[in-house]
Amino acid sequence: MILGIPDPQILIGYGLAVGLALACIVYGLLNWNKGGNSDGS
Amino acid sequence: MAVNSLTMTALVLLYLAATLVIGYIGYKKTKNSEDYLVAGRDSHPVIIALSYGATFISTSAIIGFGGAAANMGMGLIWLTVLNIGLGILLAFVLFGKKTREIGQRLSAVTFPDLMCKIYKSPLLQYIAGFIIVISMPLYTAAILIGGARFIEPTLGIPYTSSLILFALITAVYVVFGGLIAVMYTDAFQGTIMLIGMTVLLALTLMIVGGFSAGAAALTNMADLVPKALADQGMTGWTTMPVLGSPIWFTLVTTLVMGVGIGVLAQPQLVVRFMTAKDNKSLNRAVLVGGPFILMMTGVAFTVGALSNVYFFQTSGQIAIDAAGGNVDAIMPLFINGAMPDIFVVIFMLTLLAAAMSTLSALYHAMGTALVCDLWGRGKACALSMRAHQYGIVLMMVVSTALAFLLPISIIARATAMFMGLCACAFLPAFAVGVYSKAPSTRAALWSMVTGAAIWFVWTAFFHAAEAKPLGLCQALFGKVALLGSPWNAVDPIVVALPVSLVVMIVLQCQYGKEQPAVPATA
Repeated sequence: MILGIPDPQILIGYGLAVGLALACIVYGLLNWNKGGNSDGS
Repeated sequence: MAVNSLTMTALVLLYLAATLVIGYIGYKKTKNSEDYLVAGRDSHPVIIALSYGATFISTSAIIGFGGAAANMGMGLIWLTVLNIGLGILLAFVLFGKKTREIGQRLSAVTFPDLMCKIYKSPLLQYIAGFIIVISMPLYTAAILIGGARFIEPTLGIPYTSSLILFALITAVYVVFGGLIAVMYTDAFQGTIMLIGMTVLLALTLMIVGGFSAGAAALTNMADLVPKALADQGMTGWTTMPVLGSPIWFTLVTTLVMGVGIGVLAQPQLVVRFMTAKDNKSLNRAVLVGGPFILMMTGVAFTVGALSNVYFFQTSGQIAIDAAGGNVDAIMPLFINGAMPDIFVVIFMLTLLAAAMSTLSALYHAMGTALVCDLWGRGKACALSMRAHQYGIVLMMVVSTALAFLLPISIIARATAMFMGLCACAFLPAFAVGVYSKAPSTRAALWSMVTGAAIWFVWTAFFHAAEAKPLGLCQALFGKVALLGSPWNAVDPIVVALPVSLVVMIVLQCQYGKEQPAVPATA
């Protein structure tokens, strides 16, 4: 039992929720200056 | 409530004053119809993210779904996965940028206007506008009732006066300040929500001894699951229900899929993409949006589930029993009983902020749909600020009247119903519209109409949770729903969205190349 949770489906859910929030941060940082009007996009 | 009512009243008044001042700043910045309708297409990334998130998260997401997690367990965390994965990452990266580019190029100012200009079809604008004007007041009325029910005991104002006051105060800054005022106040309200939910998580983890200890205690309570829920497939609060059981269908199809997918094509959220100056703003907004949603729904679902540990340790009861069987009462009961007095005030402000931020966005979306997309379509007044102000006032009056008429039993379903309808009616046509180089008008029309019609039929005649309070099936056929278990637990989105999608794809393949419309890329 990891983190007091016996069901892997719940653990994966928590892992994905936190992981996706981190992915949003990483995406925002990596693309911080991309997509400006001067880029033509 | 243990909190001094004078302190509570003073803080709520301070919050309302700050909201109105920020709304006034938005009003002063509103110079023309583009400012009023799409915030001048020049919004700051943080404002876009907080406005999107605060509009997305209403009181029902915190109270209603937090209570649902207390009742059904941590499986609801999968809704947070969809909220962030689809509602932020996919929505901003895949749909947001295209929507912004096309919206700016075609000078679209509302969601139906965007659809009309992509597909070159005024009929699509009328249909989309009609769906918004008919369905959004239901969701708005639910938000109004939730807000009034909070104001009544908190400030000691009678329910009727609370509802009217809540409707009027929110309408003031929406009517005068348009979308700039809405987004500025959303950002302020989103910040309050972030503070409130962060403190809620920290205090809850302190109460249960940390996440692992709390979850372990919750795991050990599995044998306390009420027999009625166990018979329907619930196995505990830290485990998923039995696959294919009625509880599993409700959790996975209605709560996780219905709400999680439904967020993708909500008109009031799609408009937020059109307020961005460039794609850089949307990239930066993703950085704020993901963690914001995690701190809203992720915290609400975790705290809701863990509240069972608190109630069991203090009263020997599980949460739903401690709340007298009322799911909506679990979170307020937990906050009032377990939290320090000052946090009760902060949390009440969090709820008020969540309700107002969603309500203001709905007022704006309904009013602009009425004027720009229905009544004023094709006329000069479609872009008149004054006409939109009248439109917002009219829809505010309709929603308020509906709030007085609606039965309480339909309120809890309103959020899922509205989001489900948006997905079934709009999502396939919206997705193809922003990505296809030759989107088919015929495909979009049939997809939209089929999606909305099947959603309605399944809602009124098959899905017991909605068919029962609506009463249409009972009146016509003498029974709550036409089919038995498990079909009566399957959410309308599971049936209507695939059909709408298939109709869109088949007709798009057949007619898409014959009628090249506006190219999707510049």
